[in-house]
Amino acid sequence: MSRSATTSIATPSTDALLDVDQIGISFGGLKAVQNFSLKLPRSGLFGLIGPNGAGKTTVFNLLTGVYQPDCGHIRLGSTQLGRGKPHEITAAGIARTFQNIRLFPNLTVLDNVRLAGQLRNSRGLLDTVLRTRGYHREENGLREKALNLLEIFELQDRAEELASNLSYGHQRKLEIIRALATDPQVLLLDEPAAGLNPQEKRLLAQSIRQIRDRFQVAVLLIEHDMPLVMEICERIVVLDHGVTICEGVPSEIQNDPRVIAAYLGGNLCPF
Amino acid sequence: MANGPSSSSTSTTSASNREQGREQRTGNAWLGLLPIAGGLAIAALMHFCLPGLIGQFYARIVTDIGITIVLAVSLNIVNGMTGQFSIGHAGFMTLGGYTAATITYYGSMFLWDSAGKHGGFLGSGEWLFIASCVAGGLFSALAGYIVGLPSLRLRGDYLAIVTLGFGEIVRVILQQTGKTIDSVEEFKNAGWAQLIPPPVGGAVGFDGVPKYTNLFWVYAVLTITIVVAYRLKGSSLGRAMISVREDEIAAQAMGVNISRQKVLAFVMAAFFAGVAGGLFAHERGVIISPKDAGFQRSFDYVIMTVLGGRGSITGVTLAAILLTALPEVLRDFEQYRLIVYSLLLIFMMIVRPQGLLGIHEIWNFWQRPKSSARSASQEAQA
Repeated sequence: MSRSATTSIATPSTDALLDVDQIGISFGGLKAVQNFSLKLPRSGLFGLIGPNGAGKTTVFNLLTGVYQPDCGHIRLGSTQLGRGKPHEITAAGIARTFQNIRLFPNLTVLDNVRLAGQLRNSRGLLDTVLRTRGYHREENGLREKALNLLEIFELQDRAEELASNLSYGHQRKLEIIRALATDPQVLLLDEPAAGLNPQEKRLLAQSIRQIRDRFQVAVLLIEHDMPLVMEICERIVVLDHGVTICEGVPSEIQNDPRVIAAYLGGNLCPF
Repeated sequence: MANGPSSSSTSTTSASNREQGREQRTGNAWLGLLPIAGGLAIAALMHFCLPGLIGQFYARIVTDIGITIVLAVSLNIVNGMTGQFSIGHAGFMTLGGYTAATITYYGSMFLWDSAGKHGGFLGSGEWLFIASCVAGGLFSALAGYIVGLPSLRLRGDYLAIVTLGFGEIVRVILQQTGKTIDSVEEFKNAGWAQLIPPPVGGAVGFDGVPKYTNLFWVYAVLTITIVVAYRLKGSSLGRAMISVREDEIAAQAMGVNISRQKVLAFVMAAFFAGVAGGLFAHERGVIISPKDAGFQRSFDYVIMTVLGGRGSITGVTLAAILLTALPEVLRDFEQYRLIVYSLLLIFMMIVRPQGLLGIHEIWNFWQRPKSSARSASQEAQA
């Protein structure tokens, strides 16, 4: 599942970058996600919303290989991702952040970002132990790249600090930086605005768009903050009880009775 | 998320900030061997000067300390860096020790018609000895690979029980072996049936192993172990291991092949434990026996890694020195020894649960006093 294979075969630009076709998973009798489909275009910015327990994070876990889908297909570019392990899927180009922050607390900010380097690092144990020329070249390159990323997000001054010492907002930001360090084509953000104040949320909305443009990634966003989702997402998919109940542009979603019913409760049954 | 990505024109202040934070390490392959050469020189110096300075008894303790450090530092790769709880390290050590001892004992009989020492310092006998230690390490590494496999599915206590079981399996198997063959004629006339399984003394232990271990070899192995562990820790490979300790799910999401890292950690730790076992088996005044594989000894090394601090190489080294020297210092108070030992551990657990040095190396404490003070207060909170 190499990255080069993904990009070498040209796909028409109209074609979806991430094509999810009818995936589903059940845990025992609970159908957590059913028939979930999504066509995320290159540098698209889509939202995935739904009430608590709708299966949004489960979709992310299916896309990133944490869970193996019971059925359906996932294609990234020209690569089938079907049953890949999480690290293989990251290598193929899907990166994610976590709803509850999962940084490496006892590593420095720089090391958190630099870790992504081992993904495409060709140096083995012998090079590492002997500290060969190639090893130094590669490590310097990794350091450079990580510092550049931190600089873009204005965290370079905190590079040598432990990740656990960062403020909550900075930790959220570091999670995104860390995901970007894996050179993804698709970035999955799981509730990036959770716990941020209104000011921070506004800046986040702005920076998600900038990330999309600057790093040429397609973004799929889970978020409960409706103004944020409606503002930045091009299309939105609404999940409820593991089923896609609606898909469309923000204005369609806002006025869809099924969505309103899912969020506010309500009887749609005409009888 | 206080502010988004800055525009492409980065300010000059941040650029200069970057420069000072970035030290370019230019690589020279030969320079990389410098620490090892230095360590070997110190080992040779110790070998020739130390026994004269402090006497045989204390030199023996220093040798013991060296072997213990190798074991503790190697266990730290699994327990401290990768965060897998292994309590079968003595099993790997004993396996390597028996392998090495078998090779030197019967190898010497085969080559030189005597199981005794052959040749002086760096003589042919010592080369056979060190080759046997490496063979012991490799055999142990193979066992490490096999024990590492369940670590892919098991976590925490369950993995600990598997590793504990491994040590006990080694112990029980070694107890079933036959009596050592002590005459050369008998060995040369022995059929395959007598040699397989290798007759290594059963429950009484493997006696008569040539006593090659000296300060030079112990500290040479120690140097290599510490250099390898330290370089691993600071590399991409080491960071990948540490990320497994910190958060497996996040590590996978960052593209870390956690199965590979875990198995690699087990294999490396087992290799160095096996080599250390070789040194132990050939040490004067030691008869390697099956009970060395038992959990008591394994716990000693686990305690050292816990006391030293997770992943801190210098911390674990300090703990290994302390816990090897302490019983000797307390020898006069024989009956109170275990009490003092356990009180010390309880005291540590209350006062510094993260270990002597926590996750830091010793030089972090004066190199970056500001940030280490901050992280210390953070650790206190945790």
